Amino acid sequence: MSEVIQTKKSAEMQEIEDKMTMLVQTGRIDNLIDLLAVVSDQIEMTTTPIVEKMVHSIDNIATAGFVTENAVRYAKRESAKNEIPSLFGMLKLLKDEDTRKGLAFMLNLTKGIGKQM
Amino acid sequence: MKKQILIVGGGTAGTMTANNLANKLMPEINRGEVEITMISDSKIHVYRPGAMYVAFHKAAGHEFIRDQRSLLMLEVDFIVDKAVEINAKSNYVKGKSGTKYNYDYLVLATGCEVAADRIPGLQEGGDWFYSYEGAKKLAKKFAALKKGRVLVTVNFPKTPNIPHQCGIAPVETTMMLHDYLTEKGIRDDIEIIYTYPTKSQAVENGLFLQAPTSDVLPMIFDSINVKHKTSFTLAKVDPKTKTAYSEEGEKMEFDILMSTPPFIAAEVIRKSGLSKALDDEGWLPTDKKTLKVKGLDNVYTLGDTVDLSVSKAGGTIHNQVDVLVDNIAAEMRFGYPTESYDGKVIAIAQMGLQCGMPLWYDYEEDVKPTPCSKLGSFVRLGFNKSLYWAAARGML
Ligand SMILES: Cc1cc2nc3c(=O)[nH]c(=O)nc-3n(C[C@H](O)[C@H](O)[C@H](O)COP(=O)(O)OP(=O)(O)OC[C@H]3O[C@@H](n4cnc5c(N)ncnc54)[C@H](O)[C@@H]3O)c2cc1C
Repeated sequence: MSEVIQTKKSAEMQEIEDKMTMLVQTGRIDNLIDLLAVVSDQIEMTTTPIVEKMVHSIDNIATAGFVTENAVRYAKRESAKNEIPSLFGMLKLLKDEDTRKGLAFMLNLTKGIGKQM
Repeated sequence: MKKQILIVGGGTAGTMTANNLANKLMPEINRGEVEITMISDSKIHVYRPGAMYVAFHKAAGHEFIRDQRSLLMLEVDFIVDKAVEINAKSNYVKGKSGTKYNYDYLVLATGCEVAADRIPGLQEGGDWFYSYEGAKKLAKKFAALKKGRVLVTVNFPKTPNIPHQCGIAPVETTMMLHDYLTEKGIRDDIEIIYTYPTKSQAVENGLFLQAPTSDVLPMIFDSINVKHKTSFTLAKVDPKTKTAYSEEGEKMEFDILMSTPPFIAAEVIRKSGLSKALDDEGWLPTDKKTLKVKGLDNVYTLGDTVDLSVSKAGGTIHNQVDVLVDNIAAEMRFGYPTESYDGKVIAIAQMGLQCGMPLWYDYEEDVKPTPCSKLGSFVRLGFNKSLYWAAARGML
């Protein structure tokens, strides 16, 4: 009987059996089963709204990262290109619409933080 | 002299290209040697697959629309203008505004558009989820539906071996419809019939455009009581009697006709004289490896506008972008392209409202159907609502 089973076993099955035997003999299989159970329970208990809320947070973080990275790169390039502006140069920079947009955003950001304190 | 790279189209392909190019060519940009400009006829960016969820009341629509500027790196100069002329001899694209945009390298990424008017009666009698307006209309009809028949039809371009937009979408939406009607408790009162045309790329008389999936679909549809019919190539629709007629001589009545309509390339491409596709469909003749427009050494293309046999899908574009961007960068740096596209497509199909099926294939190997899973559906959801935007921004 066992001989028949032996001959029918594919090389892949034999390899799996060898590896599993090692896991059983060393007692590690119990940990793996525990882990699989935890993963399986997590999937079972997760709902679509939970995932939606989670990915929303991830998106917020990625967006903040993208905006910040862009701004830092831009600022570095501009700073390297131009001399440190004089007081008059600062005013000229302030006249620029994008600077004012950014500054207003920063001030509103500060206000938003203040509101939470 | 600064080298000018011009990208036409601010959809999935254009946006991913622009950001990945900016990343790759940052040293040249910093040295003031390269300038990247994108023109698009819209200041918003639409995540198109989102429309499927709108059709089945799983999203309102606004979640999938963003400001195009907010998705682009600052190194990309973004201009809202509609390209009306491509002059590949003199290396410029003309905008509707009258501006001439000169280029050293051009990327054509204007996607494709629905051309329902190519089938008599379809515009009036049919519905589709390939646009947000269409999906909203369909959602309203589904909400009002109490009993009757939903007929699914699929159209392929006349040009051989070219797919319609997103190959798996008709299967996805048929399964989503089944789940939606089951959730509503009216599935037993509604007959769903999925039909497929006689000719669909390499497959004849099948249910999908690739044989392995075509072979397993009958079993899947039978298990959820979706009726299926091969060899139904939609020829015309009578909106008054709500009847669909096939080229093969059959007719079928419906209460809702959920169709995958004919698609054609954008008008500017169709009028450019660059395409040799049948029936003025406008697909760009594309070198399957380099992704250059055949015969033009400094013009590249990708996404829904190409004449390749691979799916017109975001999961295709994601892989094409890396090749195209490397090739443009290599041309600038060494004088020749170095990468080759192998036709790889990777995506997760929404097989019903709670099940996601990972799929991948390339020029050589067809999709191997795999079981769908709840976890797959979560990954898909994550992609729809968050990862897509990171991918478009070149972060993924
Ligand atoms: C319902 C649905 C479900 C889908 N499901 C999936 C899916 O599950 N997985 C997947 O991977 N893909 C899916 N797709 C496909 C995917 O969305 C498209 O393949 C992808 O959006 C194509 O990108 P593109 O950049 O080539 O074209 P588009 O995203 O359509 O972008 C074209 C851009 O060009 C602009 N444009 C057009 N003409 C001009 C002009 N003359 N001048 C300037 N700009 C112009 C347009 O405004 C637009 O911004 C689905 C699509 C739909 C509709």
